Amino acid sequence: MSELTAPLPEPDAAQASLWKDAFRTMRKRPDVIIATVILLFVFTMAAFPSLFTDKDPARCIGRDARQRPDTWFFGDHPLGTDGFGCDFASTIVHGTRPTIVLALSVIIFSVIIGLLLGLLAGYYGGWLDTIISRALDVFIVVPMLLGAILLLSLFRERGSGGNLIETVAPAAIALSLFGWMEFCRYVRAATMETKNLDYVVAAKCLGARDRRIMFRHILPNAIVPVTAVVPTSIGAIIVTEAALAVLGIGVQPPATSWGVLLSKGTEWAGGGYIYLFGIPLALLIMTVFAFATFGDALRDALDPKMR
Amino acid sequence: MSETLRVIGDTLPGADLNAPLLEVENLQVEFKVRGKSVPAVRGATFTLEQGRTLAVVGESGSGKSVTSQAIMGIVDDPPGRVTGGEVRLHGIDLLKQDEETRRTVRGNHIAVIFQDALSALNPLWSVGFQIGELFRVHRGSTRAEAKKRAIELLDQVGIPDAKNRVGHYPHQFSGGMRQRVMIAMALALDPEVLIADEPTTALDVTVQAQIMRLLKQIQDERHMGLILITHDLGVVADVADEVAVMYAGEVVERATIRDTFKQPAHPYTKALLRAIPRVDTVGQELEVIRGLPPNPASLPGGCPFHPRCWAAEDKCSTEVPPMIEAAPEHRSRCHFATEVYTNER
Amino acid sequence: MGRYVIRRLLQALLTLGIVLFLLHYLMALSVQVRGNPALLFFGGERTPDPAMLAQVERLYNLDNPCYERTGDPCVRPFIERLQNYAAGDFGTTLNGNRDVGELLGVYIPNTLRLFVFSTITLVVLAMVLGTWAARHHGRVIDHSVRGTTILIDSVPVFLILLAYVYIVAVPLTRWARGIWDTESFMGQVFRPNYNPDYPWTTIIVPGIILGSVGLATLTRLVRASQLENLGSDFVKTAKAKGLKQMRITVVHVVRNSMIPIVTGVGYLFAFMLSGAVLTEGVMGIPGMGRMIFGAVQRQETNLVIVGLTISAIVVVVVSLLVDLIYAALDPRIRYE
Repeated sequence: MSELTAPLPEPDAAQASLWKDAFRTMRKRPDVIIATVILLFVFTMAAFPSLFTDKDPARCIGRDARQRPDTWFFGDHPLGTDGFGCDFASTIVHGTRPTIVLALSVIIFSVIIGLLLGLLAGYYGGWLDTIISRALDVFIVVPMLLGAILLLSLFRERGSGGNLIETVAPAAIALSLFGWMEFCRYVRAATMETKNLDYVVAAKCLGARDRRIMFRHILPNAIVPVTAVVPTSIGAIIVTEAALAVLGIGVQPPATSWGVLLSKGTEWAGGGYIYLFGIPLALLIMTVFAFATFGDALRDALDPKMR
Repeated sequence: MSETLRVIGDTLPGADLNAPLLEVENLQVEFKVRGKSVPAVRGATFTLEQGRTLAVVGESGSGKSVTSQAIMGIVDDPPGRVTGGEVRLHGIDLLKQDEETRRTVRGNHIAVIFQDALSALNPLWSVGFQIGELFRVHRGSTRAEAKKRAIELLDQVGIPDAKNRVGHYPHQFSGGMRQRVMIAMALALDPEVLIADEPTTALDVTVQAQIMRLLKQIQDERHMGLILITHDLGVVADVADEVAVMYAGEVVERATIRDTFKQPAHPYTKALLRAIPRVDTVGQELEVIRGLPPNPASLPGGCPFHPRCWAAEDKCSTEVPPMIEAAPEHRSRCHFATEVYTNER
Repeated sequence: MGRYVIRRLLQALLTLGIVLFLLHYLMALSVQVRGNPALLFFGGERTPDPAMLAQVERLYNLDNPCYERTGDPCVRPFIERLQNYAAGDFGTTLNGNRDVGELLGVYIPNTLRLFVFSTITLVVLAMVLGTWAARHHGRVIDHSVRGTTILIDSVPVFLILLAYVYIVAVPLTRWARGIWDTESFMGQVFRPNYNPDYPWTTIIVPGIILGSVGLATLTRLVRASQLENLGSDFVKTAKAKGLKQMRITVVHVVRNSMIPIVTGVGYLFAFMLSGAVLTEGVMGIPGMGRMIFGAVQRQETNLVIVGLTISAIVVVVVSLLVDLIYAALDPRIRYE
């Protein structure tokens, strides 16, 4: 089929059309549209919890405890109440923000670390590359969950402060430290490939500075494989957070996240209050699935070979 | 090796040895691209006689490679599909045969050499294995026999130290040597037709000449029909007997190589010839064909060449030109074939 | 080939050395910053008699003064630790004072059994589904395989396990025992928890469930590599040689497709290790994972470190194996 391809346009134009093409392909897929709707819903919940519930999750009335959600989505307690009489809908809605903030901060830190190290290693090579590659090897030996377990169990003081940052920070730092490797590998490979392309060599010959070449010419190429794995990674981080919460070293109660709700829910599920486990579970699976579907489609759309 | 020396059972049942070796008639191939059918070959017609060399010439996208794959019956389906025409080997229409028969034709009767030997050879098997595979599958040879034949073949195509090299992997060969391996593989079962699809394009100029000489020598020895597919008329000038020029999926001119070079009857061929650098025109500006090859998904109406043709008139954009015999054995698909032939245009 | 193996071996040893040192350093930092874990021996809150504390510190090799200087890498204790490990001495547990080396002798085989089942599940499922999807590239089957594997991958393993334990296991076991004998294979296989009397049978279901970790990733890899090879030039050559479809698939596609799959399995192995922590915790399998699970909850630093050390060794060995298989499959690497 090589005979039917058009001549290659300029690299910058190719970049622009790559993203545009990807966007166009994605827009047409029904699974992507559904995933986007779910993600928008979850993000809105995280950003504006008051749109979804008017109750305070901390206002719990003991005699209202363990009301089953018989009046699904309506009435005083749309999703019933938990074991202490707190409104469950409100608990879930307010637990969304820490979950999402945690996932997003981990992904942002990981991508930044991965991008910088990958660019440096790929562009300069030599001893810098040796050091960074060795660090990659070392960190990749410890999987994200185990690494986070290690750091959190070694350095974590039990109990947590009140505000969002203090709630999320320890887990976020631990996860970021063991989450950057995949991005670094992709960026390093893409950088090494790109830096020998004619237009980059040309820019170099014209006297462009290293920093300009890296950020203006190489980064746009290197960012493609990274972007393609970001949504899937966010899903994986949400799952890992839940696992940490079940182990009791993630977000600490009384603060809530989906993981904390799940971990508390397991205690009630056996006793017949399955909704306390089932509803956060459904929400988590839905969100992770939406991220994964979106990521999968994005990867296809950005990979010219798959078209 | 002459016809009578061939192994019995090597000829197809019902083959008429008096019929031309290979006739391609009105061959049509389509590709499905994003749900749309795009014609890649729109009626290719040519004939190849035994012991002769036919050059199929055209720009990239003209459908010449697809034509060769259609002759072999290895067009990727999907997205490609042969939608019409005939490919006759000794009078037998291959397109009408079942897959099993076609499979025996490949390698045994028609073999192909691809442009990029590095990607056309499996990187994980030794070249000896890949050549020997033919004997083991088609002739039922043992591993040892196959290896022995592979060494002989490598020796024949001029690979030094063939005994040692037979166990090496494709990445351990240089470009030219790799192409020789491809040739050895194609020759293994002594086919009657050899299709060389841009066999020298990926090679250095000096190596190109060696490979062309090797092909020519092998063809003379074995009396094969050779189809040389190329975008470069210069390469085939002293090797080919006949030329078929392809443009936008159809053959636009067919003639002997002498006639084509001396008196082309199609403006496109004329333009192609002018684009070859020549010693006697040193100092003059080299001519280029203006415009780009047409997109097969949206061909211009009438003669597909008219937007780039200097001799085009109104008629060319509305009427599809027929094949005109501008001179004996010299056909051209142009409304003004005779005028172009006699240099009146 | 020989030189490649040696180079790769040295690299693996270096990586392992750095990992071990970092683990040690992190632990030392933790002691320096957070105070002495030996205090846990006395129940945490009370202030013990200094003489007794010193004795306990010696018992757990925490008596080196470097543990009081924040930032000190504690090289001496590191070397001692390595020597102890080499001699098979992994210390004792704070809780119950049991020999960790002995525990490992019980735990490691259990975890390995678990991995046997999960690796088989993962590879077989991914190969079948990936090949199937590649054959029907772009059609309904392709899309449904993709959707299903992503969905399975989206549900965290420990949640599948919890659902299995709380909802499915009990009725299924009752049903199976109604038909077959309690002591039979079928009577034991669906149990919601591990039973040391049936070390293989009761580990099958958790093994299979753990095998779903990374199913989408590996299926995707299988599908992509098959598609790439099916459309490659050398497959075209094979067709032009008149080979049968079956031979083309077996000789020219499968081996070439194995390379990314082997890499993928090696990569996913590390994720299965973390999956094992929760799987073994939930199912009560006395393995490495449950050891780490328990150690984290009881704050037994030494156990966490030992567990991670073993996991690091496993990962390094697996990736070494992957590279060697890779070299065996691909002459371009072998002859570099």
